[in-house]
Amino acid sequence: MISPFELFTAWLIVFLTLCIFSYLYDDNPFYKAAEHLYVGVSAGYVVVTSFWQQVQPNMLGRLWPKLENISELGVFYKIWYFIYEILNFLTTFFGILERSIFPKGGIAGYDEISFIYLIPFVLGIFMLMRLIPNLSWLARWPIAYIVGMAAGLRFYGYLNSDILIQIQSAVIDFSQSSFDIFNSILVLIGTLTGLIYFFFSTEHKGSIGFLSKIGIYFLMIKFGASFGFAVMGRISLLIGRIKELNKYSSSEYFYSTPILMFIIVIILFIWSLRKTKEIENV
Amino acid sequence: MIEKFLIKLGSLDRRIIFIIIALSVCIPLLYPDLVKLPVIPKKDTVKVFQEIENLKERDKVIVSFEYGPSTMPEIHPMAIAILRHLFSKDILVYGFALWPDGNFMSTDAFSEVASEMGKKYDEDYVNLGFKPGGEAVIKGIASDIRTMYTVDLLGNEIKDLQLMQEIKNIENFDYVISLSAGDPGSKQWVQYATDPKKIPFTTGCTSIQVTDIIPYVENNQIRGILAGMPGAAEYENLVYSKYNQYNFKGEATGMMSAQSIAHLMIVIFIVFGNITYFLNRKRGTK
Repeated sequence: MISPFELFTAWLIVFLTLCIFSYLYDDNPFYKAAEHLYVGVSAGYVVVTSFWQQVQPNMLGRLWPKLENISELGVFYKIWYFIYEILNFLTTFFGILERSIFPKGGIAGYDEISFIYLIPFVLGIFMLMRLIPNLSWLARWPIAYIVGMAAGLRFYGYLNSDILIQIQSAVIDFSQSSFDIFNSILVLIGTLTGLIYFFFSTEHKGSIGFLSKIGIYFLMIKFGASFGFAVMGRISLLIGRIKELNKYSSSEYFYSTPILMFIIVIILFIWSLRKTKEIENV
Repeated sequence: MIEKFLIKLGSLDRRIIFIIIALSVCIPLLYPDLVKLPVIPKKDTVKVFQEIENLKERDKVIVSFEYGPSTMPEIHPMAIAILRHLFSKDILVYGFALWPDGNFMSTDAFSEVASEMGKKYDEDYVNLGFKPGGEAVIKGIASDIRTMYTVDLLGNEIKDLQLMQEIKNIENFDYVISLSAGDPGSKQWVQYATDPKKIPFTTGCTSIQVTDIIPYVENNQIRGILAGMPGAAEYENLVYSKYNQYNFKGEATGMMSAQSIAHLMIVIFIVFGNITYFLNRKRGTK
């Protein structure tokens, strides 16, 4: 027996799926509503998950960890945990709500205070300053940090996995089977001619032009394969949705798919007639 | 006459094409006995299967969930089949998620497979959940998991989990499997963890990612690949035929006929589209 909540969820899934599919007919209010809902829910979900999975346990948890010997600590630490209580007071709307972000005595997980995490804490606050026009310049510092950190972090990864190891594998191993040797030669030709195509310091004429043309053919094969795989992926997603619509069209779910499809089609038909009339009047 | 017909076919309303594609997907799904096409495992799928087969009992494996509901039809059958394969061999599974939606996917996959195979949390598997940060999280897992994870997805402290007692970083694992629908995903695992730390790694990814991932597979940086829904169906067939005592049912296998028929229709449309294009061009030059 399906619970009322499950039934409601099933009807909502079907409704939103059909709303998105309605775009295939034309851009319409059903599609727009579902699209806006998706964007809003996704953004909200990411913010909440990021806060509870990262900011609260890993940043606030390092600044105010739950310590066993808290009463034996010095005055400085007592002041530090007094700030924690003030933050709790503010986030619980002056003690009205239950404590959640700042649990009593500190956040469980770490055994010592790491003041170094004040830096990301301050940078995070600076990032939010973008919302205040007069102080928006402060957001440049965390952005600069993110750009620098990401560039440094990615440099080694790309250099090692995408350049050095890939170059190594371009070497032909003549101890392989004849088919593998042929395959390796093909990969080497593709790599070199592809690189020549992107070499713009010389005009693509004569032998360079010929080689870059071969490079284009290799690139076209790659794009063709990418297109084929993209189509395959999209069809898989369509199959997934249709399978779900089929599942919810049973009597167990009170025929949600055919009923909602009928309602949406009727409303779209009326909407389309009104739209045509409006265009004619203009 | 034929030329006129072909030109008319080329100017077909796109909505009719949508209906034809929808029918080509719906009919094989609604009447599965009408069209039955064989699923033959490819070399890369067999490699993934063989790699997992080579793992020993109580080996530790990371399964990372980097996909969401939008790519569920392609990746989720892989996740189910991989978990069934790993649990059939009594391998310890550690779930991670680099995408926020990955939490839903991992929870769903673990609960389904663990309940049907009688596997218990913190005895056979743990689910550490999502952390934002992408490559930074992978880097954290590679160097020290506890800098990133203090609690698991259920809120249990990592230090209290039995399966986490001997775990410090990625070097304590025997294998890494990424179920990826984009970035951060398989590519980042290769770049920041499995290549630098030399940990064997394989992936199941969406079709759209395959051409980006294949260079790593050819290089053995990634050991085999489950490529989209066909990859999932092939892997399901391999796993379920070997471990048939559990009577598993393959989800992706049932969808492959619809996929093949839809592809056939698209190929026909592309061929007709090109013929019409050339005919129109010929008429224009006359």
